[in-house]
Amino acid sequence: MFDHIDPRSPTPLYAQLASRLRLAVAAGELRPGEALPSVRRLAAQLRVNPATVVQAYRDLEHEGFLEMRQGAGTFVRDVPTGRRTSERIRQATVLVRQLIADAGRLGVSLDELHSAILEEMGAKAS
Amino acid sequence: MTHAIDIRGLHYRAGRSFEIPSLDLRVPTGAIYGFLGPNGSGKTTTIRLVLGLLRPRAGDIRVLDRPMPRQAADVLARVGYVPEQPHLDPTLTVREAMRFQAAFYPTWDHAWAEELLVAFELDERRLFGKLSKGQKGKLMMLLALAQRPELLVLDEPTDGLDPVVRRDMLAALIDYVSEGGATVFISSHLVHELERMCDWIGVMDQGRLVTELPMERFKNGIKRLVVSGAPPAVAAPFSLLSRERNGAATETWLVRGWEPEMHAFFDSVGASLQRVIDLDLEDGFVELLRTFRTLPPRPEEVR
Repeated sequence: MFDHIDPRSPTPLYAQLASRLRLAVAAGELRPGEALPSVRRLAAQLRVNPATVVQAYRDLEHEGFLEMRQGAGTFVRDVPTGRRTSERIRQATVLVRQLIADAGRLGVSLDELHSAILEEMGAKAS
Repeated sequence: MTHAIDIRGLHYRAGRSFEIPSLDLRVPTGAIYGFLGPNGSGKTTTIRLVLGLLRPRAGDIRVLDRPMPRQAADVLARVGYVPEQPHLDPTLTVREAMRFQAAFYPTWDHAWAEELLVAFELDERRLFGKLSKGQKGKLMMLLALAQRPELLVLDEPTDGLDPVVRRDMLAALIDYVSEGGATVFISSHLVHELERMCDWIGVMDQGRLVTELPMERFKNGIKRLVVSGAPPAVAAPFSLLSRERNGAATETWLVRGWEPEMHAFFDSVGASLQRVIDLDLEDGFVELLRTFRTLPPRPEEVR
């Protein structure tokens, strides 16, 4: 799940981690009630500072995606469908914004980008 | 804030060739402090001074709140050290090396040492002299961790080792730190490894500490800007480390202390800011050294 954590990115690691977890909850990849790895285990697995994992978990607890139970661990909360949908839409916007910025840098026009998207979507649907 | 390592006004000289004129360095308790610098910058010397293996000519070194080297015996019982070159008797087996080390440390954790032995896939009967480089590294890490130190001093512990070995060693290190909150002082050339786990960064060059900052501030502050139409002299709200022409149209500025709102500054001097390029730790480190060597030190850059 955390393969794309990039220490070189200007986005802080805790924010990358939080964003990945938020999407996993929104997309149902993580189910309500499911236990997350302990701070110690996840930090060791990713070889990141434990404080980075703590901060990501805290942020998501604050947003209502996770629940940290003293001594028991960290669990996924039952997030209402509407909230999950809006989170996915937010992520979609982030992706598209990135795509448009990349296209601009490479000199690809918006029309060209748009038709490429439609074509790829058509290819996937058929 | 308390400091696991607190160095003030340290002066050290080895012959005529190498000198640390006056070093101040502070490692906050509980931090994972990455110590960067090119070969010969004085990192290993500083580490050896911290451990009381070398004597300073002047200045104060406190480690875990005790003066060094005066209380070295006391301090070293609470410090784990992984040296650049593993130095153990080559005729000891892995098991004997463990038993030998355990005898010096009342806090030695036998159960965990056994777990690490298995996790690191070390053969207890093998002679130290017959171990591969990676196995030696793992054994040194095991010996340092199993003594349950309050401070770990690691001098390029994973440099020159393969990625699988590095991963195992660092995972064990992080596991220990998560559990007990020990302080880590680690030097390495593998900047991306430090970038993942460190929350403090110190950069050494030519016997001087170039900078010492929390990682976030180090990474956020340094940017490369592409600028056009700027007047020759500017009073910028950030610190301008260097300025180079890229042909006729644009210049590249290396700046420190950049904030997004500072965009407005360029309009105010009739210039235009075309791009802001993020620098990762390695770029930042390289640029910092370059400017440190070409410019006279500025008061705000050198503490």
